[in-house]
Amino acid sequence: MTKMRKVTLFAALAMVSILIASGLCFGAEKYPTKPIQVIVPFSAGGSSDLTARTVEKFWTKYSPQPMLIINKPGAGGVLGEEYVVRSKPDGYTLYVGQGSGHDLVMPHLQKMPFDPLKDIAPVARLSIHSIVICVSGKSPIKSMKDLIEYANKGNKITAAVSTAAGSVDLVMRAIAKRANIPITTVPFAGGADSTTALAGGHLVIGGGHPSEVMPHIKAGRFRAIGVALDRRDPTLPNVPTLKEQGINVATWGSVKGVAVPLGTPPEIIEYLSSTLKKVCEDAEFKKAMASISQPIDYLNTKDWTAFMQRAYKDYGDLIKELDIKI
Amino acid sequence: MDIFTGLINGFSIALTGTNILFCFLGALIGTAIGVLPGLGPAATIALLLPMTYVIGSPVTAIIMMAGIYYGAMYGGSTTSILLNLPGEAASVVTCIDGYQMAKKGRAGAALGISAIGSFIAGTVAVLGLTFFAPPLAEFALDFGPPEYFALTTLGLLLAVTLSGGSIIKGMIILFVGLLLAMVGLDPISGKIRFTFGSIVLQGGFDFVTLAMGVFGLGEILYNLESTLKTEIVTTKIGKVFPTLKDWADSRWAIFRGSVIGFFIGIIPGGGAVISSLASYAIEKKYSKHPEEFGHGAIQGVAGPESANNAASSSSFIPLLTLGIPGNAAIAMIFAALMIQGITPGPFLVAEHPDLFWGVIASMYIGNAMLLVLNLPMVGLWVQMLRVPYGILAPIIVLFTTVGVYSVQNQVFDIYSMLFFAALGYGMRKLNFDPAPLPLAFVLGPMVERSLRQSLLISGGDLTIFVSRPISGTLVAIFVLLVVGQTAFYIKRKMGGKKTAAI
Repeated sequence: MTKMRKVTLFAALAMVSILIASGLCFGAEKYPTKPIQVIVPFSAGGSSDLTARTVEKFWTKYSPQPMLIINKPGAGGVLGEEYVVRSKPDGYTLYVGQGSGHDLVMPHLQKMPFDPLKDIAPVARLSIHSIVICVSGKSPIKSMKDLIEYANKGNKITAAVSTAAGSVDLVMRAIAKRANIPITTVPFAGGADSTTALAGGHLVIGGGHPSEVMPHIKAGRFRAIGVALDRRDPTLPNVPTLKEQGINVATWGSVKGVAVPLGTPPEIIEYLSSTLKKVCEDAEFKKAMASISQPIDYLNTKDWTAFMQRAYKDYGDLIKELDIKI
Repeated sequence: MDIFTGLINGFSIALTGTNILFCFLGALIGTAIGVLPGLGPAATIALLLPMTYVIGSPVTAIIMMAGIYYGAMYGGSTTSILLNLPGEAASVVTCIDGYQMAKKGRAGAALGISAIGSFIAGTVAVLGLTFFAPPLAEFALDFGPPEYFALTTLGLLLAVTLSGGSIIKGMIILFVGLLLAMVGLDPISGKIRFTFGSIVLQGGFDFVTLAMGVFGLGEILYNLESTLKTEIVTTKIGKVFPTLKDWADSRWAIFRGSVIGFFIGIIPGGGAVISSLASYAIEKKYSKHPEEFGHGAIQGVAGPESANNAASSSSFIPLLTLGIPGNAAIAMIFAALMIQGITPGPFLVAEHPDLFWGVIASMYIGNAMLLVLNLPMVGLWVQMLRVPYGILAPIIVLFTTVGVYSVQNQVFDIYSMLFFAALGYGMRKLNFDPAPLPLAFVLGPMVERSLRQSLLISGGDLTIFVSRPISGTLVAIFVLLVVGQTAFYIKRKMGGKKTAAI
């Protein structure tokens, strides 16, 4: 009996010590042990916010800890990113909104409080949007060729763009330059306003993300005449790209990437990147993203970093070529 | 038929448990702040703006805020009648005859006719909103930059001239609002203006902090100074149901008030306050016994109280169809919609039918709720006037501070709110009416942007504003108003005796 007891006691002790040891060993690796705060640099209800919240819904399927979304809007995204840049690189501050434009376009136009390429560590890309060039449904213009002819007949071309020096504005100016036609870009207070003005027929052309223009295209108020991406947009497979129509303009409307503060351990970045990949491949997630007109286009850390650098340089070149100054 | 299916759909939304609850909450809060002198609907909605994040559903949030706005119109009369103090600005004229009625022991009849008039006018205006807004929204697409410029400029002009106070002071506040709105990015060129190197200011001042500072905190600070004597003229309210004679005397006043209120509410810069003033003036003019006015004429209570209610509902029309907020309280609701990611404009009816019809349907329900809240339960509200402000104020300040931080999670917003609170306090101290400030802050950027957009489209040709039918008409009205006002002013200055005779 005593022997038996000793054995059980020993076994029990051994088991406990193994448990403790394993706990100690894996403690550091068992990231995440607490909820991860996700900074969105735009207001609640915007496309970045909706994307982040859709990811949040599916995140716990693949990770033991939930996401906690915090909106820190201001200065076109700079304030939120600055907060992330200054956060502890412990893996518990995540940033959804890298590549939104403030970090690709603004640095070429004004001084930034941080370096968007060097001061933050990219993790992955979630989605990419095209910019769709549209005319009013009643307009006689049916293609980019028609537009150029219309301009060459001496007609004034006014373009409704979402904001000054925003992605739609840059595309319009690039078209003007490369197709050699004069286009007057008229900035509005965001995509909703500019599309409404185009729907009213107050301007000749306009543009926006598929999520902004699709309702109008479906209702026949808009006609899409070109996509400013280097390939066709899956939501509008029948609309040719600008390049197909002989205009050498390709850009990214809105890119939604994820980043963490610089100095975050590589294994944590790897964990986040691979978990996001699993989320992006989830069938229900795909359905949820489709319902908010947000195409999924995942890129891993390496490719996303390279993409950011290329896009940054391309925008810099474009801005120099178009001679945009603010 | 579209309107009817929309309305049925709206009722199915408004009649869900949550929405009924929030509609009731809005009506309840509205009545409460209407009764309490000091806090007005604009301030209350401003204070509650951060809550819209928590509510999550835009319909529910807007149902509650709308309830606060028109609910305040019901509550405002109670204080005016019993204390000779306007519970909120739109009930200023109700004091004149309402208090006289109370002194004569007819407080019950005055309170009763206010509630019934408010209910009738509210319902008439919601009916108008139901049938006018959807066709107007289609027509609204014809509004391009020149039309927006003409309409918003007209709104600014009316906000100043109709507010009743000093025009010079109104202009000063208007320009302060425009200046504050200029901070941040230039809407056309994207250049940075008036930020003094601050990154936080690049996005401009936040409307919520401005509204909460100027209206919420500023108003509370000022109210703390005035020692409100809550001496109620009569403890016995008596029968709240008006007699047949009261009804016969006031039914046309209610009818006229409803119509006047409805139309003044649609005009940008108009709204509840102006409509009640207009209604009082018209009732006095049309009365067979104008000498009774000022001595307890029931029409002087019924007309303005109906008008302010009708206007509070109809002022949703320009907001929901054109995306133009016409007055301070509606500007707050405009902000609440933006917070929810909804840009009010011509497509709101088509793209967010649940929101549009849900809110409208809730107004029918809310008005019925308010009738019950304000007729049989009026005694309860009178009791509320006895809560010391010293207890109420710190609680509100606490919620405001937490609330303003929660909007953008920026400490900067707390400081800017304090700055705006000081501004708001100073304005009240110096007898400036702060109402044009939030309106200028919201309309200012619209005026600037649409002006420059129009000129970009026309290539710098100014005739674009007069050659288009809608904007041409609006510009003509603007010119007529300016000329008329100036002529009136000069006439009054030159020949004081002549105008006195008229």
